[in-house]
Amino acid sequence: MTGSAIFLQQIINGVSLGAVYALLALGFTLVYGILELINFAHFSVFMVGAFVALVVLEAFGLQGQSVVMHGAPLVLVLLVALVVTMVASGALGVAIERYTLRPMRNVKGPMAMITTIGVSYILFNLVLLATNAQAINFPDPMPQASYHVGGVVIRLKEILIWIVSAVLMIGLNLFVKRTKLGKAMRAVAQDAEAARMMGVDVDNVVMIAFFAGSALAGAAGMIFGLYYNFAQYSIGYTAGLRAFTAAVLGGIGNVPGAMLGGIVIGLIETLGSQYIAARWADVIIFSILIGTLVFRPAGLLGMLAPNRS
Amino acid sequence: MPLTGADAEAAHLILNGALLAIKLANSSGELKGITLEPMVLNNATATAGQYDPAQAATNARKLVGDKKVLANVGPEMSGSGKAMAPILSMADLATITPSSTAPALTDPQFAGEFVPGGKPIYFRTVTTDAYQGPNMANFYAETLKVPSVYVLDDSGAYGVGLADAFAAQAKVKGIKVLGRDRLDPKAADYSAVLTKIKATNAASLYYGGTMQAAVKLVKQSYQIVPDIKKGGGDGILSPEMMTAAGFPAAEGWYATNASPHVVDDPKLASWVALYSKTYGVQPDDYAITSYDAALVAIAAIKAVIKSGKPLTASNVRNAVQTVKINGLQGPISFDKYGDLSTRVVAVFQFKQNKAAPLADMDKQSIYIGVAPQS
Repeated sequence: MTGSAIFLQQIINGVSLGAVYALLALGFTLVYGILELINFAHFSVFMVGAFVALVVLEAFGLQGQSVVMHGAPLVLVLLVALVVTMVASGALGVAIERYTLRPMRNVKGPMAMITTIGVSYILFNLVLLATNAQAINFPDPMPQASYHVGGVVIRLKEILIWIVSAVLMIGLNLFVKRTKLGKAMRAVAQDAEAARMMGVDVDNVVMIAFFAGSALAGAAGMIFGLYYNFAQYSIGYTAGLRAFTAAVLGGIGNVPGAMLGGIVIGLIETLGSQYIAARWADVIIFSILIGTLVFRPAGLLGMLAPNRS
Repeated sequence: MPLTGADAEAAHLILNGALLAIKLANSSGELKGITLEPMVLNNATATAGQYDPAQAATNARKLVGDKKVLANVGPEMSGSGKAMAPILSMADLATITPSSTAPALTDPQFAGEFVPGGKPIYFRTVTTDAYQGPNMANFYAETLKVPSVYVLDDSGAYGVGLADAFAAQAKVKGIKVLGRDRLDPKAADYSAVLTKIKATNAASLYYGGTMQAAVKLVKQSYQIVPDIKKGGGDGILSPEMMTAAGFPAAEGWYATNASPHVVDDPKLASWVALYSKTYGVQPDDYAITSYDAALVAIAAIKAVIKSGKPLTASNVRNAVQTVKINGLQGPISFDKYGDLSTRVVAVFQFKQNKAAPLADMDKQSIYIGVAPQS
């Protein structure tokens, strides 16, 4: 491989990785934008999403790498699995909000954040017990097609990840910017009290933010499973911390910022592994987290935090 | 043993081996009125997702705190062994490991760290990575005849040591070591480092480590560098290679074992039948070394009883040092550091057998032979 082909290949690797981080980062950002709450349960919703997708795909008779599907049936199966996963993860997010966070809504301080850490551990341990902590072979129904362009290999899977992530992210952005509910969301983010006085149902808006964020985490979980072909109770933690870094880097509360942050973190991870060494990836990524917090706390694209004066 | 988590299946095979030996000793009455009671401790934790040295240390303290514990069989992993050895050493409690292979544990150079009590307490019924890594490098050079290699490890005590030992001997044998990097076992994506390996045009890959990183490495290397020769140590000679990593990705991987391959030996057929009848799974070679490790402990306890000395951990340790028995794998005795006197490294290759159960190691891999000893 030539130097430029290697560089391009690592960019492709990085964008695929970044797409998963970006989908996850969006959930952090949505909830933070509205409640000023860092939702650590998000890690585990992502992980549960991967397992929901696993169960759905196995219900279609797909086991490990044994079954390969093509054309319309493949698209249909993946679509059904994606919808089920997103709805189930979204419902889980709503349940977490309704039963553990809403009672704390008006409590000042880090109580709610600590609650989310607790919820995260509960989910984490439930899955750990259910799976006996094993890594599970994730079904891989997609044909192993790949395209070679001058030494660079692009796999069908990667193209699929990009398309699905792009559609979901653009969809979310349009939802927040163009719809009435999106407007209500932005209103609540700016000033919940005033929004309530203008007739916005704040509880409803918060619930929708949790649903959307968690559904995206579920989608990220399924994409993760299809791409890496395994699911394990511990996947949420590593990916989640990096996604959180992405959200902070892009400007927490800022939707396009989360996407940009995700891609940037993905690229840093792969290019860092290529030109420095894989063992330094974590050091670099979390130095960026600290650096951003110290030197540019609003992130690359600026924070859309509630502005209560 | 890490009885839950990434290495659980392999750990259970080992545990069963020791339990079987204890069961047979008890039912035969050879210990004259004494019934051995196995105490099984798990050293895997949820935070680590695999074996956790901190938990292993806690377990070691539990063992030395219990006067009724005469000897220990285990641990499976060297990372756990390094945490346990100093604690066991201070209490003079012998442990006989059926599978942990990091040389440092018994290396006199590190005696201050791992044998602060002075007398060896870490005995092995397998040989060490001082042979497993280099012998595999010989195999790469002489049998596979690869011109170059890229060496990875999983950041653990076992993996780093094994990979270092391999890389050093590979250089001696004239294999070009194109790179040496470390994987984070909890990360999911190794495509970057694999792309880097692809870019070096390396003819082969060697991985020192256990299954948590291997599951992802095996899957992703199949995508990115499908055609190069790939291999590792005993950490990947595990059912998870088929059940979690899966075929076709696992196909063609080489793995070694730090013990002779005797599971298929016709002389052992009745033992294998008994094991699989009792536990419902096929044993692997480390189930045999684990059975042998328990035999060593039992023989030592017998020797202490015979000598009329009080039955204490310290007396049992002294007896272990001088044990000479015929185990399932052959004659077993220890050198003055606690290492097994015979040194055999067996090489296997994963090869799918669609007719056999996926988790059946013996059927899903073929025995290549004994790696050349230098």
